[in-house]
Amino acid sequence: MKVHTLTALLCFVAPVAIVTAQGVTDAQIASIVVTANQVDIDAGRLAISKSRNPDVKAFGDLMVKDHTGVNKSAVDLVTKLHVTPQDNPTSQALKAGGDMNVAHLKTLQDADFDKAYVDHEVAYHQQVLDAVDKTLIPGAKNEELKALLVKVRPAFVAHLDHAKMVQAALSGKK
Amino acid sequence: MTALLLFVAMTLAPIPGGYSGPAGSQKESGQRVALVIEATSFMPASATVHVGDRVTWTNKDPFPHSVTSRDGSFDSKEIAPGASWTYRAQRKGTFAYICTLHPTMKGTLTVK
Repeated sequence: MKVHTLTALLCFVAPVAIVTAQGVTDAQIASIVVTANQVDIDAGRLAISKSRNPDVKAFGDLMVKDHTGVNKSAVDLVTKLHVTPQDNPTSQALKAGGDMNVAHLKTLQDADFDKAYVDHEVAYHQQVLDAVDKTLIPGAKNEELKALLVKVRPAFVAHLDHAKMVQAALSGKK
Repeated sequence: MTALLLFVAMTLAPIPGGYSGPAGSQKESGQRVALVIEATSFMPASATVHVGDRVTWTNKDPFPHSVTSRDGSFDSKEIAPGASWTYRAQRKGTFAYICTLHPTMKGTLTVK
C-alpha cells in the first residue's frame, strides 16, 4: 500500500475513538451510530454506481441495505426514547472522514477504485467495531440503546469478514 | 434428473404467505416450528424437525436475510425485516443452510 493511500485511509477512519465510554452520552451515541451508518451508505452507493466488479457492487448494495436498516432502527428507537442525536467530535470526524473518502474514491477508476473502496471498508468496519466494543456499548446508559448496539454488532463482524473476502479476491486478480 | 428435481421440489415446497408461530422447536410430526433470525444469526443454529412439519423463519433483524440450503433444496430469497418464510419438510435428511447475504451465518436443519 502506498504511503499516501495509507495516510489518507488513517485520516478517514482513525478519529472514531475520540469520545470515551465514560464521557459519552446516549444522545452522542445516537449521533455517532447514525453518522457511521450514513458514511457507509454513501460509500456503498458510490460503489454501486461506479464499480464494474460484480462482487464489489454486491458488497456495496449489501452495505446500503444493512446500514439503512440499522439507521432506521436507531432513529425509531431514539425517537421513541425522546433522545435527540447530539453532534460531537466523533460524529463530526466520521462525517468529515466519510466525505474525504468519497471524494477520494471519485477520483479513481476501475480496479483502483475497487481496491481503494474495499480496503477502506475493511479498515472502517474494524474501526467501527472497536468503537462499538470500547465506547458505544459500554457507554450506553439506556438498556434498549445498548441492546440495539449488541444486536447489530454481529452484522458489522459479518461485513468485515465479507469485505476481507472481497479484498482477497481482488488481490488474487492482480 | 427431472424426476429427482420434482421430488425435491415437492418434499421441500415453500408455503406462500409465511407463518409466524410461537418461539421454540416442536418435536411432533405435522407441527409448526418457529425459528428466528436475529443478531445476524439463525436461532437456534441447529434444529430437528419431523417429516410433515412446517418450519418458519422470522427475520427480527432490521435488514434482509435469506435461508438457503447449500445443496440447493430450498431458498427463501430475501426475507425482509419483520417478515417470515415457511416451507414444509417432508424428506428426511440433514440440510446445511446459510444466508447468502451474510455467508458467515450458518444453520442446520435435520428432518427425521
